[in-house]
Amino acid sequence: MRSLFRSSILCAGLLALTSSFASGQAAPRQPGEIAWAIHYDPKTFDPAKVDEQASELVRYLTGGVLLRLNRQTQQPEPQLAQSFRISPEGTLIVFKLRAGLRFSDGAQLTSADAAWSLRRVLNPATHAVVAEEFLSPEAVVIDTPDALTVRVHLPKRIIGVEKIFDEIAIEPANRPSEGRVTSGPFAVADYKRGQFVRLIRNRNYWRRDAAGVQLPYATGVRLDILNNREQEISLFLRGEYDLIDTLPAEYFGVVAQKSSSAVHDLGASLNTEQMWFNQSPAAPLPEFEKSWFRNRSFRVAVSQSIHRADLARIAYNGHATPAFGVISPANAQWHNNGLKVPPESIADANKILAAAGFHRGGNQLYDAAGHPVKFSILTNAGNPARQKMAAMIQQDLAQIGMQVTIVALDFPALIERLMHKQDYDVCLLGVSNAEPDPSSMMNMWLSSSANHQWNPSQKTPATEWEAEIDRLMQLQASSPLPRVRKQAVDRVQQIVADQQPFVYLVYPNVLQAVSPQLRGVQSSILSPGPVWNIDSLRREQDRPLRGSL
Amino acid sequence: MKRRIALIALLLLVVGAVLVLRWSPGGYAAQDRDSTMAPFSAQHWTGTDELGRDRTVRVSAALLIGLAGATAAAALTTAIAGCFGLAAAFSPSWVAALLIFLSDVFLSLPWLFLLMMARSLLPLTASPLDTAVATFVVLAALGWPACARVIYRGALALRSAEWMIQGHACGLRTRQLVRLHLLPHLRSLLLPQFLICVPAFIVAEANLGALGLGVGEPLPSWGSMLLELDNSALLARSHWVYLPIALLIIVLLTLESFATEVETHA
Repeated sequence: MRSLFRSSILCAGLLALTSSFASGQAAPRQPGEIAWAIHYDPKTFDPAKVDEQASELVRYLTGGVLLRLNRQTQQPEPQLAQSFRISPEGTLIVFKLRAGLRFSDGAQLTSADAAWSLRRVLNPATHAVVAEEFLSPEAVVIDTPDALTVRVHLPKRIIGVEKIFDEIAIEPANRPSEGRVTSGPFAVADYKRGQFVRLIRNRNYWRRDAAGVQLPYATGVRLDILNNREQEISLFLRGEYDLIDTLPAEYFGVVAQKSSSAVHDLGASLNTEQMWFNQSPAAPLPEFEKSWFRNRSFRVAVSQSIHRADLARIAYNGHATPAFGVISPANAQWHNNGLKVPPESIADANKILAAAGFHRGGNQLYDAAGHPVKFSILTNAGNPARQKMAAMIQQDLAQIGMQVTIVALDFPALIERLMHKQDYDVCLLGVSNAEPDPSSMMNMWLSSSANHQWNPSQKTPATEWEAEIDRLMQLQASSPLPRVRKQAVDRVQQIVADQQPFVYLVYPNVLQAVSPQLRGVQSSILSPGPVWNIDSLRREQDRPLRGSL
Repeated sequence: MKRRIALIALLLLVVGAVLVLRWSPGGYAAQDRDSTMAPFSAQHWTGTDELGRDRTVRVSAALLIGLAGATAAAALTTAIAGCFGLAAAFSPSWVAALLIFLSDVFLSLPWLFLLMMARSLLPLTASPLDTAVATFVVLAALGWPACARVIYRGALALRSAEWMIQGHACGLRTRQLVRLHLLPHLRSLLLPQFLICVPAFIVAEANLGALGLGVGEPLPSWGSMLLELDNSALLARSHWVYLPIALLIIVLLTLESFATEVETHA
């Protein structure tokens, strides 16, 4: 026991020291290689089976696509396809491929490869997540009238269908290679689990710059697998890494102090941080608690009591924007500028609660039946900003007499409670919106969806306003008229602001750190951030490569 | 002399912490959102944390919670170990073997995993105070086997002592023997065990808290305060972030020094 105690003191001291001076060793950089860190191993290198961010990044860097969404203009641009055309009724898309395309192994790329790749994604046996975006993937027909033409027949119009092709990598027909043979700028060369993924330049990549130099400029990309922010920042500051894609707000100042030209706050992102009340009838909660959470006045009072400006200023060191609605102001096309939201006011919150039958007994709020209003806020461990927000909300809600406990669970335990047991009161999490079009949010807003967090998988909408959201979201997803779509999405935003099923807290800003040595960066708030034009990036001391390697 | 100095230092820390909490205007949870990560001032002697909470008040509360919880847990674990050790020493050999085997099984269990499991079984609405009590109860429930083995060995030696045989011969009942003779003789074993457990449990709680499994917010604890050290951005902003670890080491060294002296003089 004595030796255990002494070693424990030593451990406590070491914990302090090691965490204070966290550093690390990156794998050696190859000449001309661009390096940065991802936070966990990609689950797959098969571009058709991608369902998480690390794999998605590898697919982006390696996969050649027919169309690529320009992350600055947010418009689709032809890539392997030289041109594309959508029929007036929106049910036929015709792609014309570039002549002379080759895969990284030198084999010719024809329409047969493109058709095979598309069919593979649409095949239910592949379980491709992207297939869901075709709405009825089994009814989509692909044909190839000649070696350079691919036709996609859709059963009905899909709004923004061209953006789906940004997520479908074209692979050699009948030779899926898990990213080793690609038509994109890079190909997977080496992977050491828990250490790194190394990508090598595709010598047969189709694209050249204005001067005729073949792209990509970089000889390769090294993605270190590193789930330690301290170490990542330390390696970036030492010049081992060229960029940090999502810089945590608390480190922005530290990096800026060392290299002010390296950090960029691009303003509000498309992502939201929000909390919601568990309204599921299947939740194992007491009936009186469920009745609070289903009560609009209760939710609105909570929303009115939260000081969002403080959350943005303190939890995010000012690198966030207070949020009041579904769609971030960064999404200028779809954000409802005329949104009416319940004002932040403790007095108003108290009035609403009193009108709804709640009453105060000292510092404690009670419902009409005399139950003290106490609940827990669940969030994920390891996210300091969310834990700080939860602690601040705890104090804010104490002002209206609500007693809140904070519970931080690791992600698997959290998901188990949210998705399977529905055993929680309130949850505080974020939603990442990869693209600005509201159609991408369908799975969250349709009441029948498993991702309709506050009350998932409803057979019929539980409330009238949820039925209205269902109808409006379907309308915006099917109408070819931009004005009709915009009106529908504006109305959805207003319903959500009125009903507060999600109490929106902040839109975290997009924070990036890019080495001044990295040239060609065109920052974007859309994923994959500063590397969206990876084929045009190069390190300053690496001269552009002439011709093929 | 060293024992007295250690005791006085500990008492000064405790009295100081009580006075700080007594005179603190807002308490350990009060957030002064206009003074986050504030430096030393007349209002905040050691500055504030990221949420604008007074660091002196929070460290004081953490010290008292840690000491009180660890002392109670150490008393409980020593009592369990004492009962277990005595039961094994005065039982038939096969029962003793079974009990010792049981304590060995407990020793070999992955205690951190068990602690995590036990903590996760608490209801989500458990108050911060409940989480603190649960944390220390779980520590006590898992900390007894090593002590029990020491006490078993000591009690085994006493079992065949001449005064025990004489006591039996005089017709003393077992309860009387234990109370009047055995426990006073075992005091030299039980007291150091208890004193060693106190700092060990403080460190265990700090480790659990650093993993996010200890005492719930907003109640301060060593563990939750040490979490700040994992963030170089904070370390760059204020040196007062090191206050909890510095104070923790002082408390642990004081406790260990006191335990060593008691053990030497026992």
